[in-house]
Amino acid sequence: MVTPVPRIQAPGAAAKGEVFQVKAIISHPMETGLRHDEQGTPIPRVIINTFRCRYNDEVVFSVELHEAVAANPYLEFYLRATQTGRLEFVWEEDGGGLYTLSHDITVS
Amino acid sequence: MVDKTVRQIWGMGLTRRGALMTAAGWASLSLVTRSHADDEVDDVVKQLIGRSAIESDRIRLSMPRVFPNGYTVPLALQVDSPMTSADHVKQVHVLAPRNPIVEVATFHFVPERSRPQVSTRIRLAVPQFVVAVAAMNDDALLMAKTWVEVATNGCS
Repeated sequence: MVTPVPRIQAPGAAAKGEVFQVKAIISHPMETGLRHDEQGTPIPRVIINTFRCRYNDEVVFSVELHEAVAANPYLEFYLRATQTGRLEFVWEEDGGGLYTLSHDITVS
Repeated sequence: MVDKTVRQIWGMGLTRRGALMTAAGWASLSLVTRSHADDEVDDVVKQLIGRSAIESDRIRLSMPRVFPNGYTVPLALQVDSPMTSADHVKQVHVLAPRNPIVEVATFHFVPERSRPQVSTRIRLAVPQFVVAVAAMNDDALLMAKTWVEVATNGCS
């Protein structure tokens, strides 16, 4: 499998109390485990099963994903700007693979 | 005479819905399968979340009514909530009762920190109701559902 590449789009600055949008996507086939190859052998399930967003070490948004989330899972969500700091994003794959990104935000 | 006929019908193991469906004929078939889908939604919610949810306009689930392929159907949902510690959404479950695997995703929100609004893209195997159930901090379960027609199976 090609190594999944995560991407984030979020503002670099926000006013205190403001709600801002975050877009998160990772290139990933989200193999459901329901398919067979040409020989009829089942293709094992490999999906991103969890997404977590921490804001200065506190989990502020998370998702449990199942097989029916489309390939290259895309998430658009909204956070409140509370203080200057770091957003950390983690995508967890079946089998324990982790893909991470961070994004700094200045809150004034 | 009528009574006897009715008894015979029940005796044949037909359900009331089955009898009605026969009577209504093919013209309203899609209507009947949809009302069957309503019961299915309740059953699935009870099975996976543990109890029934109440349909509420505080939760909005937006999806296209018709979409050409089932591989990547846009989904947006939003819950009206002040997101204070006293009154907030804990999580929202998304279910597709006619997919081979019914659970689609569960979104967890945090009071004062995240807004209960999210967009993503999902796979649908067949035309069906997609269901969103919001679990509130006071244990209320609010539900919204929307019928989506897909032309190709997104789960194969």
